[in-house]
Amino acid sequence: MDFVLDAGQEEFRAELRRFLSSELTEEVRARHHDPREWDGWEAGFSEEFRRRLGARGFIGATWPVEYGGGGRDARERVLFAEEMEYHGAPAFDRSVTYVPDAILQFGSEAQKSEFLPRLARGECTFFLGYSEPDAGSDLASLQTRAEARGDTFLLTGQKAYSSGADRADYGWIAARTDPDAPKHRGISLFIVDMASPGVSIARHETTAGWEHHSVSFESVEVPRDALVGELNGGWRVIMGAIDAERASLAAPGLVRAQLDRLVEHCRRAPGEEGSLLDDDAVADRLARLAIEADAAQLTSYWVASMIARGEQPQHETSLALLVKRETARALDVAALELLGAPGSLLPEAPGAPLGGSVLREYLDHLYFHFAAGGFDITRNVIATRGLGLPRG
Amino acid sequence: MDLVASEEQLLLRDAALLFARERMGHERARALEERAASGEQRHDAELASELGSLGWSGGALPVAHGGAGLGLLELALLVEALGTAPLPTTIFGSVVEAGLLLAGAGSEEQRARWLPRLASGEALLGGGARRGARASRARAAPRPAGGYRLDGSKVLVRDAGAADALIVAARTGDGAAGPGVTLLLVERGAEGLELEPQPAAAGEPLFSLRLDGVEVDGDAVIGAPGAGWPQLERLLARGAVLKAAELVGIGQAALDLTLSHAKERMQFGRPIGSFQAVHHHCADLYREVVACRLLAYRAAWSLQQAGGDPSPSPVRRAVASAKAKASEAMPWATRLAHQVHGGVGYYRDYPLEIFTRRAIAAAAAYGDARYHRRRLAAAL
Repeated sequence: MDFVLDAGQEEFRAELRRFLSSELTEEVRARHHDPREWDGWEAGFSEEFRRRLGARGFIGATWPVEYGGGGRDARERVLFAEEMEYHGAPAFDRSVTYVPDAILQFGSEAQKSEFLPRLARGECTFFLGYSEPDAGSDLASLQTRAEARGDTFLLTGQKAYSSGADRADYGWIAARTDPDAPKHRGISLFIVDMASPGVSIARHETTAGWEHHSVSFESVEVPRDALVGELNGGWRVIMGAIDAERASLAAPGLVRAQLDRLVEHCRRAPGEEGSLLDDDAVADRLARLAIEADAAQLTSYWVASMIARGEQPQHETSLALLVKRETARALDVAALELLGAPGSLLPEAPGAPLGGSVLREYLDHLYFHFAAGGFDITRNVIATRGLGLPRG
Repeated sequence: MDLVASEEQLLLRDAALLFARERMGHERARALEERAASGEQRHDAELASELGSLGWSGGALPVAHGGAGLGLLELALLVEALGTAPLPTTIFGSVVEAGLLLAGAGSEEQRARWLPRLASGEALLGGGARRGARASRARAAPRPAGGYRLDGSKVLVRDAGAADALIVAARTGDGAAGPGVTLLLVERGAEGLELEPQPAAAGEPLFSLRLDGVEVDGDAVIGAPGAGWPQLERLLARGAVLKAAELVGIGQAALDLTLSHAKERMQFGRPIGSFQAVHHHCADLYREVVACRLLAYRAAWSLQQAGGDPSPSPVRRAVASAKAKASEAMPWATRLAHQVHGGVGYYRDYPLEIFTRRAIAAAAAYGDARYHRRRLAAAL
């Protein structure tokens, strides 16, 4: 065991930190802020930033060299995710993290050569089409169908909670290809070109005030070579991809950023005597949160260490995600409380503390309660896949 | 970065887990508790020599003195694994406190005299250090002819009953908390030394000490006179880290029992482990065991890298985090285990409640959760 970074990892992280600090100055942050976007960054700036990340080799840093990658391992992958989250960087989404992972793991050679170099350059994006209006926690009951017609499939159905779908070039879509098979065995996975006729997008507004989307497919023609993995073998692809997704979402950058911001606030804000940090109750609470943030980081590094050793973590990624998200929620709650009455001011209100970011995150992180498996589903996964308890 | 144990580390852990399961089981632990309750021996003498012959008592002691020279991380893996068994060992008094203290600060003569016998399990030492005992009630006055005369009292002294000698921290200086503390070896049977058992949850062999004019020679001093405090800080830090590791073992034992029970216990026509509420309890229990384990390993590794010195800020933070978390989360884990077990866990003939009691004792040792959170908050 070794709890510090080696020289190569240290250098990679230092280079990334330098890049992020010089690109994302306070002035740049203010100039390109857009509260209607999911990450608060103007869409055009995000896309430009994605290409700069690509040009610097950060997106593909951990992919094999033969697909335009840098050949680093899962530990640098978690460091990348951690720093991107910590800096609140734009373009930190599925197209730079787990979609390429899933293509690497399940894509055909042709799909790898077609998509990976473009993803590595930051030139294309994906959205994830799993959930549907009537298929959430019970994903295998999804109803979107893809009917084989000669060399193509006709895709029809609806996808819900489709983050990033409005600007995505492709959809990573789960659809039913055998309606007569048991529900897990009749699903296939496709890469769908979003420019295809028959694709339409609806808009929704999230609790935190940004735009989100759902997608309809109406007899959309999908070529056979868009199939990822085997026909009716989609469940395996989804499960593998979801582990990659959870591993990436479990990165501890968010909780570290939240903790640092909160400690700094308490150091400056006046308490009854001295600063808030001098208040024993506050200090005790911060100590608890600091321990949880460390636990989140360690759990995430533990999963990365397993992957780097060639092991395939499964429920462990769910565990890392659970620790991270619970910690983030505890930090949201503590921060809102410790800001006092001004904490309820909207980001645009004059006098909103910390730019209203605490309130925004408190509302935004409601998605932790459902996305990629909410807290309850995540516990079920750990209990059944990890601890061998019988399913209910 | 590599948070996965190496092959050698896993071999050590697995061997210790096997030994814990086969030789340190519930019946042996209950038998010891019954002996202790009737005023007989409060430690399992046979266990000490078994651990000695396996090379585990001396695992962390220097090779030159019969040990295996393992690091604190390996010792943590060992203590964790043995912690999954209900039977307490004397590793804390003999090795974690006294043995490593002598290895680091003892004279060549003291080391040669004690360490090989500690490693083999022939001798046991007791430790008298604990958190919050800055205002020590033991004083040592220099004798005109050299050596000291000790007066005062000590409480919660670990493994003292069976110990061939005890480490006593006594004030020899001007009364300040830090400087002026001298560490002394006081041999069993010394005139004026009285021990009284302080029975604690789950058979932790704790004792109170009365020192009434106990005379020791100059060679009883460990390290330099008046310079005991930094050694005591080291001792308390490694005690905290290794108790955190032991708590992880206790939590793991509670988890294992809970999972077996949840899979086997039938109610309403199905195993109770198929109910979602039980899924969630077990997932939470597992979550906390893993979190505590990683925090404990990091703390042991950090302290080891720093040569046992807890004063660098990242080390202090790692130690405090590990013990604060484990002291709260592992007793909680045992309570959750009882929830899943229902009435079965309530009686002493079922091997859960002994871990519940052990968790209480381990959480209280070397600084409780609140103490360590204060240390951590001060470092924020």
